[in-house]
Amino acid sequence: MEELKGTSETTQFIVINLGDEQYGINIKYIDNIVRMQHITRVPKVDPYLKGVINLRGEVVPVMSIRLKMGLPEDEFTKSTRIIIIKLDQQGYIGIIVDEVKEVVTLENDQIEKVSYETKDEKGNFIFGVGKCHDGLISLLDLNMVVPENS
Amino acid sequence: MDVSQYLEIFLDETSEHLQNLNTQILSLEQEPDNMDTINEIFRAAHSLKGMAGTMGYKRMQNLTHDMENVFSEVRNGNIKVKANMIDILFQCLDALEEYNSNIRESADEGTNDNEPLIKQLNDILNGGGGGDEAEPAKEETKQSESSVSESGSDDVPKWQRCVLKDTEAAALSEALEQGKKVYGLTVTVQESCILKAARAFLVFKAVEEIGEIVYSNPSAQDIEDEKFELDFSLIVATDAELDAILAAARNVSEIESVEGGVYDFDRAVPSDENKEEARPASETADEKEAHAKETAVETKPAGTAAAKTSVAAQSAPADNKVEKKPASGKPVVNRTVRVDIEKLDTLMNLVSELIIAKNSLVSASTSSEGGATSEVNEQIEYLESVTTLLHESVMKVRMVPIESIVTKFPRMIRDISKKLNKKMELYMSGEETELDRTVVDEIGDPLMHLLRNSADHGLESAEVRKERGKPEVGSIFLDAYQDGNNVVIEVRDDGNGIDTEAVKAKAIERGVITQEQADNMNEKEIIDLLFNAGFSTAKTVSDISGRGVGLDVVKSKIEALSGEIEVKSRLGEGSTWIIRLPLTLAIIQALMVVVGGEKYAISLGSIQTLEDISPSDVKLVQNKEVIQLRGVVVPVIRLSEILDITSEKDPEENLVVVIVKKGDKLAGLVVDELIGQQEIVIKSMGKYINKCKIISGATILGDGEVALILDANSLI
Repeated sequence: MEELKGTSETTQFIVINLGDEQYGINIKYIDNIVRMQHITRVPKVDPYLKGVINLRGEVVPVMSIRLKMGLPEDEFTKSTRIIIIKLDQQGYIGIIVDEVKEVVTLENDQIEKVSYETKDEKGNFIFGVGKCHDGLISLLDLNMVVPENS
Repeated sequence: MDVSQYLEIFLDETSEHLQNLNTQILSLEQEPDNMDTINEIFRAAHSLKGMAGTMGYKRMQNLTHDMENVFSEVRNGNIKVKANMIDILFQCLDALEEYNSNIRESADEGTNDNEPLIKQLNDILNGGGGGDEAEPAKEETKQSESSVSESGSDDVPKWQRCVLKDTEAAALSEALEQGKKVYGLTVTVQESCILKAARAFLVFKAVEEIGEIVYSNPSAQDIEDEKFELDFSLIVATDAELDAILAAARNVSEIESVEGGVYDFDRAVPSDENKEEARPASETADEKEAHAKETAVETKPAGTAAAKTSVAAQSAPADNKVEKKPASGKPVVNRTVRVDIEKLDTLMNLVSELIIAKNSLVSASTSSEGGATSEVNEQIEYLESVTTLLHESVMKVRMVPIESIVTKFPRMIRDISKKLNKKMELYMSGEETELDRTVVDEIGDPLMHLLRNSADHGLESAEVRKERGKPEVGSIFLDAYQDGNNVVIEVRDDGNGIDTEAVKAKAIERGVITQEQADNMNEKEIIDLLFNAGFSTAKTVSDISGRGVGLDVVKSKIEALSGEIEVKSRLGEGSTWIIRLPLTLAIIQALMVVVGGEKYAISLGSIQTLEDISPSDVKLVQNKEVIQLRGVVVPVIRLSEILDITSEKDPEENLVVVIVKKGDKLAGLVVDELIGQQEIVIKSMGKYINKCKIISGATILGDGEVALILDANSLI
């Protein structure tokens, strides 16, 4: 992870809620956060790919991070949001989250890299844990979350 | 001179000339005595040389110069066209191609001097017994001179026959008194030249650098307006030598010839009457001047004053020209603008946005109950027709004939034929079929691969062909045509066809399938194995095809263009590869349908009819649902099942069936409801969701909702 290089550098994360846990997404990958809207289902694709939405005239796929991580199915509420992310050299994709809480700035020494042994099923999607004023934030490794381009 | 701004034009034109040379030399190989072809080749080589020289590419210029020498000798009948000469010429073209691609990449022609080639060319020149270089030059002048004399009434050069006005004559005598020399020039522009006025302007500019142009015929204004045939005459007062002026004018590219000499005052005006008439004319008025011009025209119907003469007078020299140099395949010149494809893409996107906005207006006006007045509706309809037209014309701008890629194939087949020592002939049709520019750019490689495949694997050797009672020369066909909203390109050969047993054996050997699987496969499934990655049935690996990457790449490339490929083959009779490509990529007319509460779009191009079928008319054949439609049995596909959704329709009700076609196959798609026809903008769904083969894309509806586009072709 590039952002781990150097000690005094800081990285900003958007903190989201998934179930009872807090997760962080590196802000540099985030293009936009939109409210829940009608998702057009696409047949014959992996179940975690919920479908496509219209984002300012572009068709953007939307995935359920809950299903991808093996959590129970999303329940759409007023606070449900779709975070539109864009990885380098790849198209946009939306991620459904229960709630977007805040933006935190973490010093690099506040981030503890997860060692490989502790990685379980869910741990595969996390590259580190951030320590912050109200507890721990699991930092999502988007390259693992987002499906491979086929 | 800074020429970098012309680099792009230079590259484009060079490619065109090279292509043209390739084609012409191929036909020269067939008919070595065709003078039209030889002339055309000479012209192209000459232009190439001029262009390379202007741009400062010396190596390219040298090579073309020597090629031109050879052609010039051929043209003069001093050298006969021989097979080995054609081979060398092709090698030269390849070398030029290499220069061209070097320049395209780095703006530098590279360091390859191609000396062996130049030497071979010189050998041809010397061995051909065709004298030295001076001779063709002389010959050329003679020829052009004779053309002048033929078209003129006497053998006075054109520039000598100019009618001078008083002021001009005065200026000339003044110049003479100052010790300057007065020369006359007649410049002939190449017939194929597109911007005659621009070339003429360059000549003017070049000449004016070393002298003063006292007079021109037609007038400078007429030349600027392109109101002249192929030549124009100048009278120049200068300190320089004649040769310097001639050279300056000849340096401009696309100039066919420049002739000149000392302007002789005594012969200035052909006849005395004219002189007398012309002199007072200047005193009186324009009227007389016009009269003088008329007389001039009568005495010299050479087309120099063509702009003002009648059509008859114009056609006379034109005919003459044609006789002299029959311009076979003279390009029909259209006025064109080169546009960056990105700009067109932007334009296309804007048109798409406009159509989406229009769709929103339509849905807003229909949803607000009674809110929209008829006037609003009228305007919306008007808007609709305008956007449709706009879309069509933008689409057309992006369409180019596939000619641009297929013209290189005859040369390729020729080379393969030599290399493999198999006799074969390529027949092409439908080169004028148009496709979207992006598709045309991408389809070249797959087509080339298929052709090579046919040449290498498809066609048998001459002996085998003879044994089988086939003509010794194998035939490969490349046919392109439009079929509804698709363009179909077929590559066909009369070779061996696909040996399914060999394919099967190979597939098992490679572990692609098991013996068990192989036994259960039908012919089509076996042929489809060819598209498997890393599959090649040729027993020996040649550098023409069979390098492991092959048909699978062809297939994925075609699918990336939303097209598809199909093979028909008969053992011993040949195979046909059929490529289907969508005509347009961005905006289509579609039928909107509802299945289980979801909206889907089906391209109108693949829809044959809409049918209302009673559930009792659906029959089971081999456990598959079919209907009888006007005597044809059509399989029925329930979209709700394919799309994993529950139909919201009462099963007792009549079925709404959309009959779609693909080639000659039909299928009936059962939907819940029809919404209507709509122009939709195809949007890509991104890379993450592309596993679903039956969905070819998505579109945004008037209300902002996303609807998926069903690919009817993949359902059949």
